[in-house]
Formats: sequence, structure tokens, C-alpha cells
Amino acid sequence: MEVARILTPQEERIIKGQEREELTTEEGRKKRERVNKLVSKVRVTPPRVDIQRALLFTESFKETENLPMVLRWAKAMENVLNNIKVAIGEDELIVGNCGRVERHCILYPELRGAWLEHGLEDIKEKGAYLVADEDIKTVKEKIVPYWKGKTAHEMYIALLPEATRYAIYGSDNYGASGVMQDNANINATLNWAPDYKKVLEKGFLGIKKEAEERLNSIDVAAPENNYDKIPFLKAVIIVCDAMIAYAKRYAKLAKELAAKETNENRKKELEKIAEVCEWVPANPARNFHEAIQSQWFTQVGFRLEQPTTGVISQGRIDQYFYPFYKKDVDEGNLDEDSALELLECLWVKLANFVPLNATNAKSFWEGYAHFEHTMVGGQTRDGRDATNELSYLIIKSKKEFPLNYPDLSVRIHSKTPEPFLREVCDLIREGTGFPKLFNDEEIIPHLINNGASIEDARDYTGAACTEIRMPNVDTYMVVGGNINLPAALEMAMNDGMFTLEGKRQQLGVPTGTAEKFTTYEELVDAFRLQVEHFMKHFFIRQSALEITNSKRLAAPLMSSVHDVCMRELKDIHQPLKTGISKDTGNINLNGFGTVVESLAAIKKVVYDEKRVTMSELMEALKNNFEGKEALRQMLLNAPKYGNNDPYADEIAREIDAMLLETATKFKTPNGPQHIKFVPVTSHVGMGAKLGATPNGRKAGEPLSEGISPSQGADTKGPLATLISIDNAKSRKYANSFARLLNIKLSPQVVAEEKGLQDLMSLVRTFCDLKLWHLQFNIVNSDILRDAQKNPEKYRNLLVRVAGYSAYFVDLSPQLQNEIINRTEHKLI
Amino acid sequence: MASSKDISNQTLGCIFNIQKFSVHDGPGIRDVVFMKGCPLRCKWCSNPESQNKLPEIGYNHNKCIGIDECGYCLEVCSTKAIKTSTPDTSTPSIVINRDLCDNCGKCVMVCPAKAVTIFGEMMSVEDVLRVVQEENVSWRSSGGITVSGGELLLQSEFVHELLKECKKRGIDTAIETSGYGCWNDLEKICRYSNLIFYDIKCMDPDKHKKYTGVRNELILDNLEKIAAHFPQTPVIVRTPIIPEFNNSLEDIKAIIEFLTKIQNLKDYELLGYHAFGEPKYRQLGRKYQLEQLTPPKKEYISELNQKARALLKEKGIL
Repeated sequence: MEVARILTPQEERIIKGQEREELTTEEGRKKRERVNKLVSKVRVTPPRVDIQRALLFTESFKETENLPMVLRWAKAMENVLNNIKVAIGEDELIVGNCGRVERHCILYPELRGAWLEHGLEDIKEKGAYLVADEDIKTVKEKIVPYWKGKTAHEMYIALLPEATRYAIYGSDNYGASGVMQDNANINATLNWAPDYKKVLEKGFLGIKKEAEERLNSIDVAAPENNYDKIPFLKAVIIVCDAMIAYAKRYAKLAKELAAKETNENRKKELEKIAEVCEWVPANPARNFHEAIQSQWFTQVGFRLEQPTTGVISQGRIDQYFYPFYKKDVDEGNLDEDSALELLECLWVKLANFVPLNATNAKSFWEGYAHFEHTMVGGQTRDGRDATNELSYLIIKSKKEFPLNYPDLSVRIHSKTPEPFLREVCDLIREGTGFPKLFNDEEIIPHLINNGASIEDARDYTGAACTEIRMPNVDTYMVVGGNINLPAALEMAMNDGMFTLEGKRQQLGVPTGTAEKFTTYEELVDAFRLQVEHFMKHFFIRQSALEITNSKRLAAPLMSSVHDVCMRELKDIHQPLKTGISKDTGNINLNGFGTVVESLAAIKKVVYDEKRVTMSELMEALKNNFEGKEALRQMLLNAPKYGNNDPYADEIAREIDAMLLETATKFKTPNGPQHIKFVPVTSHVGMGAKLGATPNGRKAGEPLSEGISPSQGADTKGPLATLISIDNAKSRKYANSFARLLNIKLSPQVVAEEKGLQDLMSLVRTFCDLKLWHLQFNIVNSDILRDAQKNPEKYRNLLVRVAGYSAYFVDLSPQLQNEIINRTEHKLI
Repeated sequence: MASSKDISNQTLGCIFNIQKFSVHDGPGIRDVVFMKGCPLRCKWCSNPESQNKLPEIGYNHNKCIGIDECGYCLEVCSTKAIKTSTPDTSTPSIVINRDLCDNCGKCVMVCPAKAVTIFGEMMSVEDVLRVVQEENVSWRSSGGITVSGGELLLQSEFVHELLKECKKRGIDTAIETSGYGCWNDLEKICRYSNLIFYDIKCMDPDKHKKYTGVRNELILDNLEKIAAHFPQTPVIVRTPIIPEFNNSLEDIKAIIEFLTKIQNLKDYELLGYHAFGEPKYRQLGRKYQLEQLTPPKKEYISELNQKARALLKEKGIL
């Protein structure tokens, strides 16, 4: 039966024409006026580039060229933390910034300094970021000249063979060819989740004390001379002191402001801030307020130290904050509303820091992508359900908090309590794309398979998009990159030839042209060889980057809170022996759905039914199906992955097995690399540079996203989609991680009590099927179309992009279309 | 109606759709099996492809890519039912002469765009259950199967076997029926139905005949029999609200008066008329009779629903 259109709560708010950005519940607005005021200011202007960090960091580096890298980094951090402006905004309770108080981004010239020469002017012109002309001048005069020739990126490029470099970058070392896409040196490391608990429990004084004791015990005359550990330990001591000093500058400022303050209430608040900053992060936190402030200061330190992909994760926030929350509540010092207020003050701090990606690769990171992964639920280290009052409170906060911060995710497992799942699904129904779901039933066995203990595996946290980390066990991986699978298929059909930058050339390996293949198997084999060729490029680049990072980067602050670094007394950018260096997904494969559909279409139409010859198909692809619509329709109507169709799903499974097997053939100096399916938005950028594909996709259209079928190809309902995703899992090796799945539902499907129950069943099914990840877009397609036409009306419309939620109007038209074209599962 | 059998003597049903992930036709996430063929001809029918008993060709003009780059259907049509359309648009396409067409389906096989399709497929109980159980993970949602139509009573033997087999396998069952059929058939089917959706369109037999092609005495009588023979099986009665036919409060009051006799009534729902079925009439080469009719406002329907609910409460039925 058909039902009238139903709006999600988010859509209703937007259609009512709410102008000011504020908390979405009346209760929230009434009880948390402070948060409401803070929130309304965040998105008033685009983020501004703040150059303080880059300037202070560079200043120090000029003075320390004779020192080991880890010490240079510590001293640079010291210079930044001692001299960066401290400022407390009106109404703030949680303080500390990486730049100005208001929305900002900062620069890391040590990675891609040369990009800054033109990059800042480019982004200014595009209007997505504000940057002062004066600051551009300073960057060009004082920062770029020092770094030119010394950056990590330049060393990395120098270490690449030309063929590999060209396959990744083409003619622009700060761009992307579209065949491969490289995130090297945009960030210093892959996404990361540190152990905040250590700081909350020991304080930086405690961490420093440990380092001092180790330093004092170093004896060159002892049997194992560990003189080489001295620079690392000294660096840890320096950053601990610098973090404490930085907080004390805030204590001092708060005291000064309190003295001047005439409003009695605010005066008390400022005095309280002073007291808190005087105590943490130097000492162990004593209450909820101190715990949050200490965690935020630590995050500020991490953010100033280096960029991690998608910004630093918050980890299992409902776990490490819980003891402080519980104690305060039990002692009668904290109620739900003040706890929410403190948490939301933290969310505002997150929202005011925006990562800036130093790349010319357009549409690879759209909509201010950020992943300060904030995870709730899951299991305890001893395997009990970990849900607590704070888990519920954070879900509640997310319902009323109108911004796309924090990036919230929930761990689902077989024992996830029904009431909690209900709250989670009700939040999903809001339609803002939060939270994303991770499946313990898939992830924990995977981690154990890769060498983790069962306790550590149970304690994993999300990091970045759909990746995961075990704090204190996993160690750094250098940033990976993307491979365009449909491009490899094009090369498999064309003897390795490919048109890049307007030039037809031998980019892949010669495997013959498809007209000569007499069987489907020959085609698959040629495809395998092309994939292998690009994986080889990938491993070369990965090795070059590993070498570069160990020489050019250090992160003493991050290392100071990592068990493995403190055990081995080595910086986290160095190869470490006692952690698990097997990564959790680094080779990112794009266009899995596009390739599987293409192969299914060729198998069916060319080899099985012989309705079309391979030459006809090749000709049609070359001409972007011009005059060949009938052929294109045959391809479009061939069996499609995502519909629980064994014909297509079996091909998906075979290709999955082949990809996993190919990845096991290579290693970098640090070890093997694993596969993931997390495009962020690169499937749009890569699609833009690719010609027509045999699944009927026209040139320039986006590739399929993550592990999802092509946009609009799954027409048998979300259950069939889930089952197909399961069918596509070959389980051949334990090296397949982070399989991103996006499902779009029409709001009417999840309406009312029954809709909520059905959504819960869908999530339980996802859990039963042991799929890695699931996220929903619950939004009416006509609303999205209207938002394209009238962006001013829809400034606040959040959608799920790929592992993160972004404002629809901030996205490019291509990506907007991609989201609209995803199948909207609705009622008939 | 005598049922069809295949060569191994299995009963076959003519089914025009198995709708996956249906969430408004009974508890949980369900598969709705649409049986083809209906004795009624409701003017507002939104599933015109459900009316005829046998498979028939549908043609979706919007999906057709035109004969300039295609035209395969013209080549294979052995009865010359498919002709080039007079090109009123830039791309000439096709028209199907329904008098000549024998629904052989050759055009369906060759159409690359699936613009020509066939409504209705002969399936065995096992075929249906295979499709339904492809997604057996959904049963933890307390979902199941809902058999709808058309009018399932026209294929009662098949439906009876299907539901019986579902019960055997623990699959939850529901039916949607107009109630227009032989009581013996209905009785057999109800034995295997956990939930019954039953349509009552209006109480006036003459008006009923004018708008649906049949009188309503049999329908009303059958519902009373269900109440008497299956007092434990919940019945949800539905009334489609059609402007100019049954959209007054008086119409609804009359139905509610009748419903006081139905002791196992679980709910009564009013559904607003919509014209979403209109394009399908064109696909079948038929004319939609209610083109000029404006669907009632959402508010009107919800108001009417509230009034009906209040009345039912007043009478102590719900």
C-alpha cells in the first residue's frame, strides 16, 4: 500500500524555516542556554586559517637542526604550547584552542610545505576557508622558504620510481591522477585513537615521572647499553612539561578574567575554570569536569603535534569518562543536565577545529570531512555488555545537538540491550546520518585472527571513518591510498592502455585486448594482473612512505601515552616490535560494485547469451554509449550485485577472494597491508576521471561507494542488500577490513512505533550477518533535490556521505547527485 | 476456479509480484505475494495488472529507448501486435495492439531496457517459498508472508496450499481479501491465516455494484462467517476512502454499525484514495476512469480516522 510522505525530525525543522542554529529540543534550549549560544556561533562564517602553529613550529625547527628528530619535535611543541595565544571565549566552560577560539584550521608545513605556496590562495578563492592576505604573506616569507626541499612529501616523492609516481600523481605531485589516489603526507599517520584514560588516571606529571625514572636508570656501563633511548625520554619529559605549562597559562588567564568580571555567575565559572586548569592535565582528574577538560587539553596537544587522518579520535568515550561521571553522580555533585552541558561544551570545541587537507585533488575530501570518532556501546574487556548511563546520555545529546559533531558511532553486538538499541535506532530516525554502526561480531574475531588477545580485541575503538584501533596495541601505519578498480578493468580490456591527462598510454601491464579473450575467465585473469600491477605500485609507495616517516616525523606526545612506545622507548613513527603492526585496512579499493556489475554484465551479455560481441562493447565504451543505448540498457539490466542474486553475488565473492589473495603477495618493510573499502568521497573524484564502464555507467559518473552496490542498483530492499554484502565476503583471508556500507531509507519506512521496531530488526540482522559497518541516510529524495535548487533554505541539512555526516549544501553537485541516486528503499 | 497444474502435477499460482521488505501489511518485515485475477472492477483500483487472471504484457513508455537505436520487439512479434508509434515526439517508439497480442512474451525476452514486461508468472508453492525464504534472516523481525491480490479467492487452492506450507515451516501468515468468493474456499484459507485484512467498501449494495462491479451481500456475509468460525483470528477491516463514493461520515457510520457484529475485529483503518496506479493503466493500454478525481487531503483522512475510532470506542468494539 502507498502512504503519504513522512518527514524526518530533521526535515521538519528545516522546512519550518528555522534560521538560527540551535539545540533541537525545547528542553535542551531551556536547560542549556549556554550551549545553545555557543552552538549558534559555530557556523556563522567559514573556518579561518590560523597560522600560529605553523609559524611557532617552524621557528623552533630553524634552531634545532643539530638534534635528533624526536627532540626537535618536542622542542617545537614546547615553543608552540608556550607561545600560542591563549583565549577563553564568552560562555565557555571547557577551554583551550589550537588557534583562535572561533572556527579555525591550522597548518602543518613539515608535511607538504611546498603546497602552501599556492594552496592557500586557491582555497581562499574557492571560499571554503577564510585566510588573511597578511597571513598568506607571512606563510610565503617565513614558513615556505624554510621547508622547501625538507618536507616529508618531497622526500617521499624522491624515493618513488617514476612509473609509480606517475600512476599516482600524473603531472601534479600535490594532486591525483584518478587511477590511484594518494593521501600521503596530507596527514602524518593513519587515523588514530589514543589512550586518554592514561592521562585521566596518571596526569602528565605521572607520565613524566615514569620517563624520569627510566632516564635515571640508563647506564652506559650496564650489559644492555640503552644510551640511544635518551633523546626519546628527554622528548617525553619536554612535552609533558609543555602540556602542563600550557594548561597553567589558561589557569592564569581565567584568574585574570575572573578578577575583571562583573557578572557574579560568570566570575564563579571563571574561577572554577582556573582551578580546573591548574590541576589537569598535570594531575589525575578528580571529577567529570576535570576529566573532560583534561581530555580536551590532551586532544589539543595531539592536534598541534601532527595531523592524523580525519583528526584524532575520541575513542570509547562512554568507557573512560564513566568512572568520573558515576562518582560525581553518586556523591550528588553532578546531575544529568550539567553532565550534558559539559559534554556539549566539548562538542563545540571539536566543531571549532576543522581539518584542512593540503591537496589539489578535487572532491576527494568534500564537506569539511572530519572523523573525531566518538564511540559508545560494545563490550568490556571481560566480555560483558559495556553500555552504561553515559552511553544513553551521549545518544540523548546527539539527538539535540544540531551540528555534525561529534562523529558518533555505536558498537553493536549480540547482547546489545534492547532499550539501548531502541535509543540508537530512534537517533538514526532523526535523519542526520548518526550514528554509524560497527559490528563486534565481525570485528573482534578479525582482530583475534590478526594476533590480538581477546581482551584487547574487545576493547577496540573506531578511528576515522570505518576503521578501528586497539589503543596501546596497534602501532602507527603510514597513510594509505586508493586504487581505482574500474580503471584496472579498463586496462584489462585494453592491453594495459589507459587515457590519462589526455594521453593514451601504457599505464598497466600488457594483457592483450578483450576481443581476443575467448572466455570470461581470461578477462578475469587479465583484470587480476592489472590489479596486481597497481598493488605493486601501492606497496612501493607504502615502503617509500614508511622510510620517509621514520626519518622525517616524530610524535613524542602521542608516544608518551602509548604502552608500546614507553616499553620500547621509541617514537611511534619508528618501527616497533611489540605492538601489532598489522594494519586494519590501508589499501583502499574503490569501485568494487562498479567492477562486479561490469563483470556480471559482460559475463551475461557477451559470454553467456552472446547478444553482443566484445568488439561492439569495446566500441560502445569508447564512444560513451553514443548511439548504443540498447546495448547500454542490456548492461544495466544484467544481474546486479546487491539484490541477493546468486549470479552477480558469486562474481562479487570471486573478485573479493582475488583481491584479498593479491594483497597477500606483497609486504612493506614493516609488514603486510590489508584491504579496506572506504572511499570518503574519492569515488566521485575517481569516477570523474574515468570513461564509460561495462555496467552501463557513463563517463565521468561516480564509482560505487565502499562495498555498496552502484547507486540505484539495489532494488530488492535493504535486507537483500545486506545479504548480498554478506554473499560478497569471500572470507578467504583475514586481511579484509572496514567494509563501508551505506543504506538509504525513506522516512516512511521507519515511521512510528512499527517503523522503529523494523529498523531495530534490520540492525539485528546486520549484527547476525556479521557485516562490518552500516550507516543510514533517512531522507526524502525530493527534499535533497529541493536542497540542490534552494541551498539557502537547507543550510542545516545533514546527510551521511561515506563514514561521516556533512552538510548537504557544502558538497559539490556531483557528490550531491551521487547521494540522491543511491537507492531509496521505500514502500510500494 | 479450476487450478493450473504443471507437468509434475503441482498446483500453480499466477503471481504478478512478490514485494520484498513490506512493512505496512502485517507485523514485522514481510513479503507480500500478489495473486493475479480479481472478480471486482473497482474504479479506483491502483493495481490494474492484478485484475485479469492470466499473464499479460505491460509496456512502460518512459523506459522505452525508442526504435531508432533498438526496435527488437518489432522484429520478434509474430502476431504483428507491435507497431511503430506515430512519432509525436522526437524519438518514435511503439504501440501494442491488444486485440492482436497473444501475450507470448517474446518481446519481453528481447527488450534491453525492460520497458516491455510481463505481469504474471506461473509459480509453484515451492517457487514462492524459495523467493520468500531467500531472506530468511528477516524472520527474527516477527515478519512473514502476506498473500494479497487481485483476489486470492480466485486461486484458492494454490493459496490454501501455500499458507498451509508456511504454517508447517513456521512462517507467519496474513491475507488481504475482498471477501468476494465462495465461503468454502475462504474457510479453508482462514484456517491457515494468523491475520486477516478484509476490505469493506460501502454498505449500500447498489452503490457497491456501481463502483466495483459486484454487490456486497456475499462480502458482508463472509465476514460474519469469519467472525463466527474463527473467533480467535484477528481481523483488520479497511475501507478505501474514495471521493464521491464513500467519503462521508454517514458511509463510515454505516460500516461501523455493521462492524459491531464482528467480535474478533482488531482494528479498523481508513485509507485515503490515491492515483498512483494511473501510469499502470497506460502500460496495459487501458483507460483510467478516475482521471479527474482529486485525492482527499491527508488531514481529512486522519480526521475521519479519528472520528471512526471514537465511534468504535463508543460502541465498545475497540
